[in-house]
Amino acid sequence: MIEVRNLTKVYGQHKAIDQINFTVDDGEIVGFLGPNGAGKTTTMNIMTGFIAATSGEVSINGLDIVSQAEKAKAQIGYLPDTPPVYGDMRVDEYLNFVADIKGVKRSTRKKMLEDIKRQVRIEDMSRRLIKNLSRGYKQRVGLAQAMVGYPKVIIMDEPTIGLDPKQIIEMRDVIKSLGNKQTVILSSHILQEVSAVCDRVMIINRGKIVASDTPEKLSATLNRGNNRMQVTVKADKQSILKALAEYPIIRNVDAQIGREPGTTDLILSGERDDTDIREFIFRCMAKHSLPILLMKSTELTLEEIFLTLTGDVRSGPTGYVQSITSANDDNNNSDYYETDDADDETDNDTTDKTAQPQDATGQEQDQDQDQAQPGGEDQ
Amino acid sequence: MFPIYKKELRTYFTQMMGYIFLAFMTILMGLFYTMIVLMSRNANFQGVLANTTIFFLFLIPILTMRLFSEEARHKTDQLLFTSPLTVTQIVMGKFLAALTLFLIAAGITVIFPLMVSRFAESMPVSRIVGTYVGWILVGVCCIAVGVFISVLTENQIVAAVGTFAAIFAMFLMEAFAMSMPTSAFASLVFVGLIIVGVVGIWFNSTRNIISSVIVAVIGIAVAVGLYLFNNLIFDGIIVRALLWFSIYSRFDSFVLGILNLSDIVYYVAFIALFIYLSINVIEKRRWR
Repeated sequence: MIEVRNLTKVYGQHKAIDQINFTVDDGEIVGFLGPNGAGKTTTMNIMTGFIAATSGEVSINGLDIVSQAEKAKAQIGYLPDTPPVYGDMRVDEYLNFVADIKGVKRSTRKKMLEDIKRQVRIEDMSRRLIKNLSRGYKQRVGLAQAMVGYPKVIIMDEPTIGLDPKQIIEMRDVIKSLGNKQTVILSSHILQEVSAVCDRVMIINRGKIVASDTPEKLSATLNRGNNRMQVTVKADKQSILKALAEYPIIRNVDAQIGREPGTTDLILSGERDDTDIREFIFRCMAKHSLPILLMKSTELTLEEIFLTLTGDVRSGPTGYVQSITSANDDNNNSDYYETDDADDETDNDTTDKTAQPQDATGQEQDQDQDQAQPGGEDQ
Repeated sequence: MFPIYKKELRTYFTQMMGYIFLAFMTILMGLFYTMIVLMSRNANFQGVLANTTIFFLFLIPILTMRLFSEEARHKTDQLLFTSPLTVTQIVMGKFLAALTLFLIAAGITVIFPLMVSRFAESMPVSRIVGTYVGWILVGVCCIAVGVFISVLTENQIVAAVGTFAAIFAMFLMEAFAMSMPTSAFASLVFVGLIIVGVVGIWFNSTRNIISSVIVAVIGIAVAVGLYLFNNLIFDGIIVRALLWFSIYSRFDSFVLGILNLSDIVYYVAFIALFIYLSINVIEKRRWR
């Protein structure tokens, strides 16, 4: 069990992370998702005791990372963004050195290292100098290093960066297999990657956690399937807008001149989140004989998710963390609420502000606020 | 501590640095041995040792330049500092590895006096042993300074040049100290500057302006008070302070075969100070 309380790190004038709170249960695989500079690496560096926080606490299975540093660090395996390998060592020498500094007993070491090498598939590389290995193999040696001693917690910073697609799949399998016995925290800026392996995703931006939930629910919340469509119509903007005005259920999110001459590209969304607007779009356009050349559902890109979520954080009061939750109970760890008593009113204000036609998630958040228990803490 | 020690010692011999250091040391000793002992038919091997201390200037940076700089540059320090090892264990492991290589070099050079003893009628054994003790102590002081400077930078070249400059400054310190003013007032100004410097470090780490100002005011008040009360204690304080860093000035008594306890304590304290500083700079960097 990892507990992070009110973690803040300030570099000069810049707040790298700001009052982060979360807990991770045993055996859980949690992903930090965020753009570059969001504070993922800083958070991980603090959790592993590599750098100090300006304020706040981290405890690993009840051991404080500052005051009980040695014991707490013994519970953690860390794979930083750059694998911390020595180029002039052979793989076996390196893993033995890591086993030495982690104090792994000689009697169990040989078998442990063999097992780990098999798991990350570097058995054939045992005698190779690390500097001659490819980026992907260095990354795997880095992961093997984190696994040495079978720590209870494994923290990985961008574990699949620089790997080829096959290696990425292999890496995911390894991470999934770790989750059975160990708690895993990993970071990434790739949504698909996190959703492929993690039980829970925390979206971090500008040093704050802006959302925390299972990947399924996050994408369900943020990508409302057939509710948001990209449409190309062979007509000018004016006549399309006129036609759409007759169907208030469809909202025109964005319209601009299309790539093909004489066409208009539109992003349309439903008035309500659960409406399937495909049919309405067809009827609307057909009625006015406006040919639809293309219609496909738009999935919110990570960038859009961030824009949506960070927009809320900026308009909300400081320390306010927006929670995306759902009533689905199939996963105990999935729900993460964090609202301050004092913020309840302001939360609603925020939601009102954001429930503009342009904001596709405004409605959803409104529901979320209703579900969030007032003054609720980590569940 | 032992895993780090083992790894560092191993690295010296996988990255050439160990060989370069041992080769240079042996060649230089051989050269001076030929000139001072063989060519002048003189069994005073301590002259060879005394003359080679100046070469610590570039020999010690070879040993220490990569110790921490390289870890920081290759980000392997993340492995070490997130492992269950303490910073003290890491610093001591690295320091002892450099020390061991230095002692290996010293061990090799023992061949020269052994050869002389085979033919010389009378060997100044006590002087040679004394000089060896002093020679090693001066070398280890330089290593401690080198370790400290390596902690400060991620760049090996900067570490090497910095260590060279620091050892060079210590070498010239005696002459430099002697040219400093000895008047009590100059000393007061010097003490005042040191207090301001210490308070600056204090402020930099605590960011507490009130306590910093209080410490500065009390410090300067005590200094001025002492100056007005009895300014004799300020006499020559600059020279004494600077001479503390002149590790070579105490070497002479060793050449005479005198093992002065206060000199040995001085060298050990000097080494301990720089090891302590290295540990604290790392701790400080990580715990702020």
